Amino acid sequence: MMTRYDCMRALAARLSDELIILSLGGSVDEWYDAAPHMRAASLFQQQLGCVTPQAFGLAAGLPHRRIVSLDTDGGLLFNLGILATLANERPRNLFVVVWDNERYQSIGGPPTHTAKGLVDLAAMARGAGIEQAHTARDLDAFDRHCVEGLAAQEPYLVVAKVDGSVRAGIRRKHSDGREDKYIFVRHVEATEGITIMGPSEHN
Amino acid sequence: MTPATVDAVIRGLKKAGVSIACYLPDSLFRPLYPALDADPDIRTIPVTNEGEGAAICGGVFLSGKRAVLVMENSGLRASVEPLARMGLGAGIPVVMLMSYRGELGENNWWAIPHGITMEPVLQALRVPYAVVREEEEIERTIEAAYASAYASYYHTAIVLGGRLVR
Repeated sequence: MMTRYDCMRALAARLSDELIILSLGGSVDEWYDAAPHMRAASLFQQQLGCVTPQAFGLAAGLPHRRIVSLDTDGGLLFNLGILATLANERPRNLFVVVWDNERYQSIGGPPTHTAKGLVDLAAMARGAGIEQAHTARDLDAFDRHCVEGLAAQEPYLVVAKVDGSVRAGIRRKHSDGREDKYIFVRHVEATEGITIMGPSEHN
Repeated sequence: MTPATVDAVIRGLKKAGVSIACYLPDSLFRPLYPALDADPDIRTIPVTNEGEGAAICGGVFLSGKRAVLVMENSGLRASVEPLARMGLGAGIPVVMLMSYRGELGENNWWAIPHGITMEPVLQALRVPYAVVREEEEIERTIEAAYASAYASYYHTAIVLGGRLVR
């Protein structure tokens, strides 16, 4: 079975000016190490159910920029409604990756609902109306979906079936959500030539 | 909700620079939703629950555009988890515009919980808010909500009550 870290390395090699929103637990530290050139372009979040909606909001606000959501099985199951919203809104610049390790890894690994092999997240996405929703079980397939998903002109989702391991010996990211937001917002400001969090008024 | 009230809301949102409105429709704001849909300067995004809408609004904030989450006040309860995470955890603000269900005079039993819970939930999250019942206060209050949200990088809320929505 493929590892999430190897998938991240493959995806990272294809990224340059994209913006990333991701969650959760061990995947945050893995992405921090697997994609060092994308650290400022990545918003590291710690919240179930918010990652793909936030990525979609970012995609709606920056329609000329490619946005990547790195979501999880637990996170997507927390808010399946976003699949229906993406199907209706049809963003042309959003690539959603769902790391499906069939467990709530950040709290020690109890199973999610995908663990019994009955729940098919890609099929649920297709049923919601996202035609380009796929499952990848090996690195070659995952990499092919990255190529397609990063160029797609419609919402594109790939469920990566990965094992439950966390890469050994990786650096822990030290910053909290507030610092992460400032780093990310300053990166968006610099690369878009806009002001998001500007100076206070003097009055 | 009269056409003049709808116009005042949209004028206020435009003055505040809003270009994206996420909503889950309700009955008190009924005429507002098609008016937002029809406005060429505002993109509307209907959502499946208000928490999803809050998270989308958070993403819009990160893009530099301005969003509003429009809903019945019951939607506040559905939004608490993403609001707490984004606002208290990361400083990502969401401005909410909600109808006041369950205000004194409410004649639907199912709406009573919305009145009982709204202000305590806003206070628990420490969200500054204003309840507006006069049309001439709408524009100014919406602008004020955005000024505060973009100074504090925290959520704010405008509640429309009284004869504005009944």
